[in-house]
Amino acid sequence: MNGGSSAVADNTAAAAVEPILDVDGVTLQYKTKEHLITATYRVDFKVYPADRFVLLGPSGCGKSTLLKGVAGYMTPVEGAMTLKGKVIKEPGPDRVMVFQEFDQLLPWKTVKQNITFALTNGGKCAKQSEAEDIAMHYINKVKLDRFEDTYPHMLSGGMKQRVAIARGMAMEPDVLLMDEPFAALDALTRLQMQEELLQLWEDTHFTVLFVTHSIEEALIVGSRILVLSPHPGQVKAELNAHQLSHESVGDPAFGELKAKIHNMLFADRILEDDLEGKGQQ
Amino acid sequence: MSKNVPELVMRPEFEAGDIQDAHTGDVERQLSIFERVWNINGVRKIVILFGLVATWQIYTVALDVEPLMFPSFTLAAERMLNDLFYGDLIWKIWFSVKVLLYGYGMGMGIAAVLVLWATASRLGSDFIATATAMFNPLPAIAMLPLAMLWFGLGTASLIFVLVHSVLWAVALNTHSGFKNVSQTLRMIGENYGLRGVPFVWKVLVPAAFPSILSGMKVGWAFAWRTLIGAELVFGASSGSGGLGWYIFESSQNIETEGVFAGLFMVILIGIVVENIVFRNVELKTVNRWGMQR
Repeated sequence: MNGGSSAVADNTAAAAVEPILDVDGVTLQYKTKEHLITATYRVDFKVYPADRFVLLGPSGCGKSTLLKGVAGYMTPVEGAMTLKGKVIKEPGPDRVMVFQEFDQLLPWKTVKQNITFALTNGGKCAKQSEAEDIAMHYINKVKLDRFEDTYPHMLSGGMKQRVAIARGMAMEPDVLLMDEPFAALDALTRLQMQEELLQLWEDTHFTVLFVTHSIEEALIVGSRILVLSPHPGQVKAELNAHQLSHESVGDPAFGELKAKIHNMLFADRILEDDLEGKGQQ
Repeated sequence: MSKNVPELVMRPEFEAGDIQDAHTGDVERQLSIFERVWNINGVRKIVILFGLVATWQIYTVALDVEPLMFPSFTLAAERMLNDLFYGDLIWKIWFSVKVLLYGYGMGMGIAAVLVLWATASRLGSDFIATATAMFNPLPAIAMLPLAMLWFGLGTASLIFVLVHSVLWAVALNTHSGFKNVSQTLRMIGENYGLRGVPFVWKVLVPAAFPSILSGMKVGWAFAWRTLIGAELVFGASSGSGGLGWYIFESSQNIETEGVFAGLFMVILIGIVVENIVFRNVELKTVNRWGMQR
């Protein structure tokens, strides 16, 4: 697979396409018991259709907070976030979250019921039978057929994440929000999941906003990478990575970009160490 | 570097060619019939039960104990079956169970309203915390004299104390269960557009079901004990009595085997509800969902 170079529009064409998601000068703050923490400061970025847009940064750069903002769980104190021209005010099924935690599946529902639950409550399907058809389609896509009537506690971590991804994709949201979805998996499963995600993307070119702290994962999964600095999160760079995939891990281009991002992040290393423990995310 | 640091031992590499199927003698062997039967929980418990009954029977028969003081097991069992099938014991049980279900249902309903309030506002949450702290140490049966003043001698008083015994246990457990529902599940619920009561019903209730169920079990245990106790106190003046009244009546008539028959029924109903009704609910819900072992 070749990182989907066919999907890359050149710069002139990009101007004609409207962005799906527009984050404009967004400052996000949250309170802990003792501190008011500014997680991100005046962050700008635009996500276009079919983007695999990665938010990359060390812990404390506010990337997860930013994703929660886009999901509608947080309101910016400054700036605006608009999805297809509408300001984001609250969580909704047009932006589906996939979390890192395995407990994001409802333990009292089977694999199939987890997906139909989302479809019927999210207003995607009025009829149960229709929801079941869609659910089965996506269960097959993530290769979990035979497990549709299994309860989540019987599944491995990787399988649970696949269900969560299937559930997110089944909703066909404007943008799929993924908050370090593979971070809790073992290294081998993670590789496999990254590859499968890219294969799924090849099918329908859905739009993803993907948070990670792994440079390598960002390069493999992402088509465009937003590099954030920590405390508070500010945009350092926006880079293209659509030409990179698993196959190019050994290539010089991959190494160069990796080193470049590493240097960008490493410059903040001392500062980050100083502030460690003052509140994460 | 110290001299005692072990050096790497270099050895040749190798690759195993084709791996053959593993052949071990005893991959899976069935246990003997006795072991398998003895491993069933119920079997061991029934054996203990038989032991207790046999001891009782031998003691009363062999030592020729006066039946008025301590009737043999067979006498008590005979009386129980007799009253159950030919007497009015079954109606007395029905009376008690009916009152219990009323009280239990009403307690659950009020608890649900309180917990909804507590979920929606911090004041409600504080109210539940304060009220449970206040009323939990107060045995429901202690409310009986007050209930008798307010509602007179009758079913209304019984229901009042039952509500009191169920309400706080269920409210406290449900509320703390809700509070422990993970942030991720809450966010998932909101993500799919659930708000307000549907959110509570479709996300919080099933997610907190293990603690709701344990609250219901504690509530049931309180209620059953309270009810029998309350019936003993004033069943005598009530028109138609329940199981507690049956025990009290038998004792007044010095029918000791009747007292035993009544106690048997109290135990039996308790066991059926706790070990069959609640156990099956657990198996079909929290055990099946892997939320509780």
